Amino acid sequence: MKIAVMSCIHGNYEALETVLRDIDEQKAEKIFCLGDLVGYGPFPSNVVEMIRSLDIPTVQGCWDEDIVEGINSCECSYPSVLAERRGKFVHEWTNQHIYDETREYLAELPKTMVEGNMAFVHGSPQSQHEYLLPELNGFIALERVLSTGADILFCGHTHVPYVRSLDGAELQVRVMTGVESLTAESKSFNAPLKRIVNVGSVGEPRHGRPNATYVIYDTNSDRVTLKEVEYDYKKTCAAIIERGLPAIFAWRLARGMEYAERADDASHLCERGV
Amino acid sequence: MSNWAILSGIEGNLAAYEAVLEDIKRQTLNVTEIFILGDVINANPESEKVIKRIQHPRTGELIPQVCKGWWEEQLLMLHGYAQPIEPNPLMEKYGAATAKKLWDSIPRETVEWISNLHFAFIELDCLLTHGSSINVLEELTPQSSPLQLFDRVMRTQANRLFCGRSGQTFRYQIKDGSVNSEVITLDGVQPVETVKASERYIIGVGNVGGNLGKATYTLYSPNTDLIKFRDIYYSGSKGFGKA
Repeated sequence: MKIAVMSCIHGNYEALETVLRDIDEQKAEKIFCLGDLVGYGPFPSNVVEMIRSLDIPTVQGCWDEDIVEGINSCECSYPSVLAERRGKFVHEWTNQHIYDETREYLAELPKTMVEGNMAFVHGSPQSQHEYLLPELNGFIALERVLSTGADILFCGHTHVPYVRSLDGAELQVRVMTGVESLTAESKSFNAPLKRIVNVGSVGEPRHGRPNATYVIYDTNSDRVTLKEVEYDYKKTCAAIIERGLPAIFAWRLARGMEYAERADDASHLCERGV
Repeated sequence: MSNWAILSGIEGNLAAYEAVLEDIKRQTLNVTEIFILGDVINANPESEKVIKRIQHPRTGELIPQVCKGWWEEQLLMLHGYAQPIEPNPLMEKYGAATAKKLWDSIPRETVEWISNLHFAFIELDCLLTHGSSINVLEELTPQSSPLQLFDRVMRTQANRLFCGRSGQTFRYQIKDGSVNSEVITLDGVQPVETVKASERYIIGVGNVGGNLGKATYTLYSPNTDLIKFRDIYYSGSKGFGKA
């Protein structure tokens, strides 16, 4: 069976429509969505309505959570005062442009879905805010997959797609227990092949081009295909400006690049638990 | 040369805490820092006496460095200082009567003091915390998944993680290991990288007040990397004796 997995639509209705058409052409039998339906983009409610009307199984993203719960970012998520001000402005803008019903839908989204040997999360199994970057230490990445009990972990949040295979893992440990008289025991640990598939972003790509990205996974052949789809991003850019969102969002959408927003440090220690 | 005494889980047991303080004074090595890794309190009125004892050390005693534990987090949730968790861990584990007792046992000004406690300490290459680097609720034990333990110490870029949530004393050494990682992006396949695991330690520091009559704590010398677990037997209001 072919499945399509997409994420981070961010109120970009134009991109979503194009990706849905492409998924249809690929003859995918099921679609999963990894959240962040809203935020940054000009049509948050339209995007949510489309996802709801197609009954697409969806997990809650960090923007979806923030719209429901209030901004949950710790102050170290922002690289500058300007970025923080902009983030809070867009949060408030989105808050004012969605319906109560939309908010209720976002509130009820699960944080994790598991189907067979596949797990679906927005950021990581630990938090919607954690970035599973491709350079994350291999053991930490493996821990994230193993913690779900799945073989393949689908995630988004970074807006840059990749497939990471983690194979041949082994660890040697020595455990000493007791108090004054200690007992020592040596153990070894092995894990079979696990994969992390980051599906990129439909509506706010950051891989260096403005095209929307998503993933097709064939469960029979076990093949993952990263998909990049051109769409009329200029329409969305115009709508961003027309609807009063920061022009910088249109600028970076047109270039498919991250601007003035740092990815959370995966090793960052804060009480919020990321 | 610095030497640390690392305690956790006093749980309002003043006699146990006094016994440990006495044992620390008896040590031939000079203890230069006392770290208390949370659970200073429990749902009992004696907790307030322990807090006062920590806040006001006697002449010549060290001022302990205290971070939050499971009980402090429950108290802060009750008072709206910490984000609520559903289901509430305190209600689920001990019920409403204990929640009320906890509320009644700790005066408001002490709650304020507790709300200012740190989540963890990073000293040299060591992380000292109650639960784990994720939160105070997580319990790390020798039975935890090796990758989970490795992650919890690695994510802080520390080499040693001292924790107290389990109440157990243990020294868990990640000796070595490897994993092969291959990344494919839209631009192509990157070469396979073999990631090596470097040596890390997770240390359970024991529990001071949870077991009546016996307190357990840890002595650590960062310069020599020597760890010594201590069992202290005590009775009544004053601690005495040793294992």
